[in-house]
Amino acid sequence: MSLDFSPILQSWQFLLGGLGLTLGLAALTVLCSLVLGGAIGLARCYGPAWLRLPLVFYIDSMRSVPVLVVLVWTYFALPIVTGAVLPPFWAGLIALTAQIAAYMAEIVRAGVESVRPGQTRAALALGMSRAQAVRQVVLPQAVVRMLPAFGSILSIAIKDTAIASVIAVPEYLNRSQTLAGESFRPIEVYLTAMAVYFITLFPVTRTVDIAYARLAHLGRS
Amino acid sequence: MTRQNDEPDAHVVLAYRDVHKQFGDFVALAGVSMEVRKTEVVCLIGPSGSGKSTLLRCTNGLESIDGGEITLDGQVLPRHGRGMRAVRQRMGMVFQNFELFPHMTALANVASGPLTVLRLPRGEAEARASALLAKVGLADKAASYPSNLSGGQQQRVAIARALAMQPEVMLFDEPTSALDPETIGEVLNVMKALAEEGMTMLVVTHEMSFARRVADHVVVFERGTIIEQGPPAQIFDAPLVPRTRDFLSHLGWEG
Ligand SMILES: Nc1ncnc2c1ncn2[C@@H]1O[C@H](COP(=O)(O)OP(=O)(O)O)[C@@H](O)[C@H]1O
Ligand SMILES: [Mg+2]
Repeated sequence: MSLDFSPILQSWQFLLGGLGLTLGLAALTVLCSLVLGGAIGLARCYGPAWLRLPLVFYIDSMRSVPVLVVLVWTYFALPIVTGAVLPPFWAGLIALTAQIAAYMAEIVRAGVESVRPGQTRAALALGMSRAQAVRQVVLPQAVVRMLPAFGSILSIAIKDTAIASVIAVPEYLNRSQTLAGESFRPIEVYLTAMAVYFITLFPVTRTVDIAYARLAHLGRS
Repeated sequence: MTRQNDEPDAHVVLAYRDVHKQFGDFVALAGVSMEVRKTEVVCLIGPSGSGKSTLLRCTNGLESIDGGEITLDGQVLPRHGRGMRAVRQRMGMVFQNFELFPHMTALANVASGPLTVLRLPRGEAEARASALLAKVGLADKAASYPSNLSGGQQQRVAIARALAMQPEVMLFDEPTSALDPETIGEVLNVMKALAEEGMTMLVVTHEMSFARRVADHVVVFERGTIIEQGPPAQIFDAPLVPRTRDFLSHLGWEG
């Protein structure tokens, strides 16, 4: 058989729009997960004891349930329970954030706990408050140490946005499906999809790795 | 036990009275009483695990005590967290593992206390830090990160960082134990110069020749208690307690 990429070339704007949505959803997901996961991770390290149990329950359940199940729940089941119907994009954002924030929380916690206690002691010995010690001494080192894991989260977030295609968020994979159906050229369309995801993600993970190689010494105490 | 070099007018900076500290059932300090006077260098020696580090940590409130009291300039230190912050600013601490902040340059490490704790303007904090780096012989390393400094250089930066808070007393916890032999001397020289300037110092050390030459008073620890204390001539040349002699000969001290 011969490959014919002309339908893709003709519809490049349609696909590019999908890619934009993919990247937008991923960026928002990462941003929200960073805020939510960071808060949860820090609360597990420094928060009150009574808060730990519910947080651990949240983290463990998110890590045990497929993201697709979370998505189906937020989009189809939540409206039945609450009566509120969410637009697909927002349902996708909430489901992806709920899941990825759990992983982010674990990364933050591991990063903070890996900074040896002597560093906090040195900060306190200078007369810093506990909050100052965390902000100025522990977190900057923890963030550097978290970079490799953060790079993985970044690529997982971009890839996981493809799951939102099942609730018809018109992101890149969803548009590929549409185009494949209309053009009867699924092989070419999905080959292109593979290449597009790869070309998008490869620089992201490489950049994070290079940044880490440069900065690693700043987190080594 | 009484001090032989008692001067009635000597000003007591730190006084420990029957200090107790437990970790669970384990007794780390079992009634420690001693004094550190102004401009004096007091060396704490003794086997590892005998409670020397614990005493330093209790002194600046990194650990709370379970009994007795510690006074700084005659004022009893608060037993728990809150009031300790103000007290800590009056004591400098130097750790065995340096504990420099790896994400800050040498200059930023030294300026971190004045900037964050004293809230000095940046220019003023950095001027103070530069002067202190010059004092420990590291003016040319101001822009270096700790990962690019030798152990001896890192420890000298750590001493400068503690001095930047202009403490009344410096606490050293085995400052040379993690160093390569060839860099121990440069750190001890900085400490000796500090002592000669009149800094009050409480030093946990295994460097017996330093203790012999620089200390005004030596305190021997064993299992959370002081088994003997006195001037270095007594401890090193004519110990009153046989276990002091055992400990010193164990370290290879010939007297
Ligand atoms: N935070 C802690 N929890 C439990 N035990 C401790 C703690 N800190 C010190 N210890 C114990 O107290 C004893 C004295 O320790 P330390 O003061 O570090 O001794 P030294 O500095 O003389 O070697 C040791 O047996 C140590 O295991
Ligand atoms: Mg010790």
